[in-house]
Amino acid sequence: MNVEPVGFLPPSLDVASAAHADAASPADFARWVAKEIGATSEKIVQSDRMLQRLAAGEVDNLHQVMVSLEEARLSFQLLVQVRNRLLEAYQDVLKMQV
Amino acid sequence: MDYFGAFAISASGMSVEKTRLDVVALNLANVHSTRTAAGTLYQPLTVISGAKPGAFAAALAGASSAALGAQVHDVRPVPAPPRLVHEPGHPDADAKGFVAYPGVNTLNEMVTMIAATRAYEANVAALNAARVMALRALEIGGNR
Repeated sequence: MNVEPVGFLPPSLDVASAAHADAASPADFARWVAKEIGATSEKIVQSDRMLQRLAAGEVDNLHQVMVSLEEARLSFQLLVQVRNRLLEAYQDVLKMQV
Repeated sequence: MDYFGAFAISASGMSVEKTRLDVVALNLANVHSTRTAAGTLYQPLTVISGAKPGAFAAALAGASSAALGAQVHDVRPVPAPPRLVHEPGHPDADAKGFVAYPGVNTLNEMVTMIAATRAYEANVAALNAARVMALRALEIGGNR
C-alpha cells in the first residue's frame, strides 16, 4: 500500500525554532506592560484634570470630559483583564502536578 | 486602542451639534432684539458643518482617525428680511413708527433644535456602542 506523504506542511518545519523565532522575549512583554500602565495612568490623570477644569467652569464641552473618562476606564479595564489572564495562567502553572 | 478613534469621531459630531444648539439658542434669545451692541439689527445665524478632510480609507489603513469626523465650517448670518412691527412709541421706531425685529423664524429654530438634539443623541448612542463593543471584547475568555 502506498501512503501519501504529508504535503501541506513545509519540509523544514521545526517547531522548536519556530516558537523561538516569533516569540517576544519576556523583556518585550514587561516593557509593553510598563508602557500600557504609563499610558493608562496618563489617561486617568488627564481625565482627572478635565474634571477639575469642569468643576472650575473652564470646560465648554461636557461630552469631551465624559469621553476622556470613558477612555480612561477602557484603558484601565484592558489592563485589569491582561492582569487577570496573567494571574490565571500563573495559578494554572502553580497547580500543575509534577 | 483603536476604539478611541470611534470616540473621537462621535465627539466631533457632538461638538458640531452643540454648536448648532448654541446658535439656535442665540437666535431665539435675540428674537425680540431691536439692536445689537453695534447699533445694527441682529441677523439670525446658521451653522455650516461638513466632514473633516481626512479620508476614511486612509484612516482605516493605519493613519490616525483623529482627522475623521465632522467640523463646523462657518457660522454665517442668514439674509432674512427684518420683521416690521408698527410700534410708534418704541425708541427704535423709524420715522413711520415701524420697529424692525430680526427675521428669526421661531418655528424653524425649534425644528433645528430638535434635529440637533436627536443628532447629538445618535452620536452618544454610537459612542456607547463602541464602548460596549470594547468592553465585550475584553470579556473574551473571562469567567471560565
